[in-house]
Amino acid sequence: MVNLNYGGREKILSVEDLVVKFNLRGKVLTAVRGISMELYSGESMVIVGESGSGKSVFTKTFMGMLDLNGWIDSGRIIYKGSDLAKYKTEREWLKIRGREIAMVFQDPMTSLNPLKTVGRQISETVELHRAARGTSARKISLDILSDVGISNPEKRYDQYPHELSGGMRQRVVIAIALVCNPQVLICDEPTTALDVTIQAQILQLLHSLQDKYSLTIIYITHDLGVVANVADRIAVMYAGDIVECGLCDEIFYNPQHPYTWALLSSLPQLGVRGEPLFAIKGTPPNLHVEIKGDAFAPRNPYAMEIDFIKRPPYFEVSPTHKARTWLLDPRAPRVTPPPSIVRSQERWKEMRRNA
Amino acid sequence: MIKYTLKRLLQSVVTLVVLVLIIFLMMRLMPEEGYFGEGYIRMDRVQIEAALTQMGLRDPILAQFYKYISGILHGDFGTSITFREKVPIAEIIKPRLPYSIYFGLASIIISLLIGIPMGIMMAQFKGRAPDMLGSGYVVLVKAVAPAVCYIFLQLYLSSLLKLPMLFNVRKPASWILPLLCMSIGNIANYAMWMRRYMVDELNRDYIKLAMAKGMSSTSIMTRHVLRNAFVPMAQLLPTSILLTITGSIYVESLFSIPGMGGLLVLAIQRQDNPLVQALVLIFSSVGIIGLFAGDVLMAIADPRIKTEYSGGSR
Repeated sequence: MVNLNYGGREKILSVEDLVVKFNLRGKVLTAVRGISMELYSGESMVIVGESGSGKSVFTKTFMGMLDLNGWIDSGRIIYKGSDLAKYKTEREWLKIRGREIAMVFQDPMTSLNPLKTVGRQISETVELHRAARGTSARKISLDILSDVGISNPEKRYDQYPHELSGGMRQRVVIAIALVCNPQVLICDEPTTALDVTIQAQILQLLHSLQDKYSLTIIYITHDLGVVANVADRIAVMYAGDIVECGLCDEIFYNPQHPYTWALLSSLPQLGVRGEPLFAIKGTPPNLHVEIKGDAFAPRNPYAMEIDFIKRPPYFEVSPTHKARTWLLDPRAPRVTPPPSIVRSQERWKEMRRNA
Repeated sequence: MIKYTLKRLLQSVVTLVVLVLIIFLMMRLMPEEGYFGEGYIRMDRVQIEAALTQMGLRDPILAQFYKYISGILHGDFGTSITFREKVPIAEIIKPRLPYSIYFGLASIIISLLIGIPMGIMMAQFKGRAPDMLGSGYVVLVKAVAPAVCYIFLQLYLSSLLKLPMLFNVRKPASWILPLLCMSIGNIANYAMWMRRYMVDELNRDYIKLAMAKGMSSTSIMTRHVLRNAFVPMAQLLPTSILLTITGSIYVESLFSIPGMGGLLVLAIQRQDNPLVQALVLIFSSVGIIGLFAGDVLMAIADPRIKTEYSGGSR
C-alpha cells in the first residue's frame, strides 16, 4: 500500500468528541464514547471492531439515521462547514442523505424492495436528486448499472430483485448509492453476507469506482483480512471508542494498543502452525455503566494500575498514527507484545530501513 | 401469470367437485327420518318406503348422483320437502339472494373503507393514543363472542339511537344495525392486519436504504410501505368473505332479514335436507371463489409468485 501524503489532502469530514446514547427499556446506554476522527477527501478509511463496538452507530450519525431511541449527546460532526450533529428535521437531512453521503448496507438480500423492479429503484433515486425524469432517468440508471459491472443492463433493469443473485443485488445497492454522485460512501459490512468468492469482486469494484466517482469511502467491518487490500487508513474501535488509528501498514505491522495486538493475533493468517489460535478472553464491557479508565483493561493482560483509574489520552506514534494506551507513556514499563506482533514489528523496522 | 391463474382455477374446480361429492354423500348417510318432518312417528313402514321411493332415494346410488349433478348444472336443486312442500328450491332461494348479496357487499365495502385507514393510522402512530385506541377496539371485538356482541348492539343501540330493532324493507334506517353487526368483525380484522403488515414493512432493510438514498418519509410511506403492505392484505379477501357469510347466518336470523343466511337456520330447524344441501353448496362455492380471487390478486401484486410458476429465472 502506498504511503499517502495526508498533509496534502483536504479534510472532508471531521468528528469532534462525539457521544451517542441510547435509551433501552428505560436504561441509558452510551454507544459512542467521545470519538474524534478526521476523514480526508479521496481516502479509504476502514473502521474495524467487534460486534457492538459502536462502529455502525458511529457512522449512522453522519446521515441522521440513528434509531428513534438514540441521540447525539454531545460533540460535533463538521461536514463542509456545517455541524451535522445539530441537524434535527428531515428537511435538513434530505440535503445530506444520498447526494452528499450515501450508504451501502450489509445484506443485499433484504436491502432492495422485493416488489419493485431493480431499474425503478435506481431511477427513483435519480429522480430524487437530479432533474432527470422518465427516459433520461432510465438512461442514467442503465449507465450506472453497467458501471457497477452488471452485464446486459437493459434486461436487468426490468427484473425484480429476486431474479438476481446476491452479488448482483449488492452491485445494484452500490449503484443506488452512487447514482446521485455522493462525496462520501459508507459501506456497512458490504461483503459480510456474500460468498467468499464474491467478496473480493465487490471490494475490487468499490475500489475501482472510487477514482471514477472521486469518492471517500468508509468501510465498516469486523474482518480485517477482507479489507486489508483496499484500506488507506484503519481505525480500531473498542467499546464505543477509537483506540488506535493509523495508516494501513502502521496498524498491521506496528500496532501499539493491546486490543489491536489481540485482534491481530486472532487472525488465522498471523497464527503459528500447530499452535492453538489466539482468542481474546472475557467479554466486552457493559455500556450501561460508565467506564472508568481504559475500556479494554479488564481483558488486557498488559493492564497497569492506571488503566483502571484514568482514561488514556491519544499518544502520537507518527503524524498519521495515534493510539489510546498508557503503554505509550514515557513512564510506562517496556512490555513485550505477543510473539506474532513482535515478528510484525521486526518486519516493520526492516521495511522502514529499506524505505 | 396465465399459467398460474389456470392452475389455481383448476384447483378451485377440483375442490368444488370434492365438495359436491361430500355434501351428496353426507346427506345419503343420514338416518332416513331426517327426510321427514314431525309426521315421521305417525307413518308406518309402507308409507315411509313409498315416500322414499318417490323422492328417488331408493334408486341406485350412482343414478342418484347423476340426477343430482345434472340437476345442479341446470340450476335445479330439487324441491323443498318441509319448508314449503313441493316448491322448487331455486324458487325459494331466488327472492332471498339479493338481500344476502347487498348486505354482504355493503358490509365488505364498509369494513374496507374503515378498517384499512384505521390500520394505517395505527401504524403511523404506533405506540401512541390512536394505536392504543385501535388495539383496544380490536381486542374487544375479537375477545367478545360475536353472538353476545350482536345482541348487545341490537338491544342497546336500537333503544339509544331510536333505530328499528328488526329489518324492514321499507325502512332504510333498519339497514344500519345489521350492517354494523356484520362489519365490526371485519373492520377489526382489516385494521389489525393492515397495522401489522405496515409495521413489518417499516422495519425492513429496504426502508433504511430508501431513507439513506434521500427519500422523504412521506414518499417512503406511499411508494414503498403502503404498496408492499397491501400484498399480504390481498390474501385476507377470502377470509373476510367467509367471515361475512358466517356472520350473515346469525345476523340475518337475528334481525329477521329475508336472506339466505336466515334461511339456512330455518331449513336446518325444519329438517329440510334438499334445501340445506343447496344452501351449503352455495355458501361453500362463494368461499372457494373468494379463495381463488385472493390468490389471483396476490399474484398480480407480488412478482415473486409469478416467477415461481414460470420456472423462475436467475
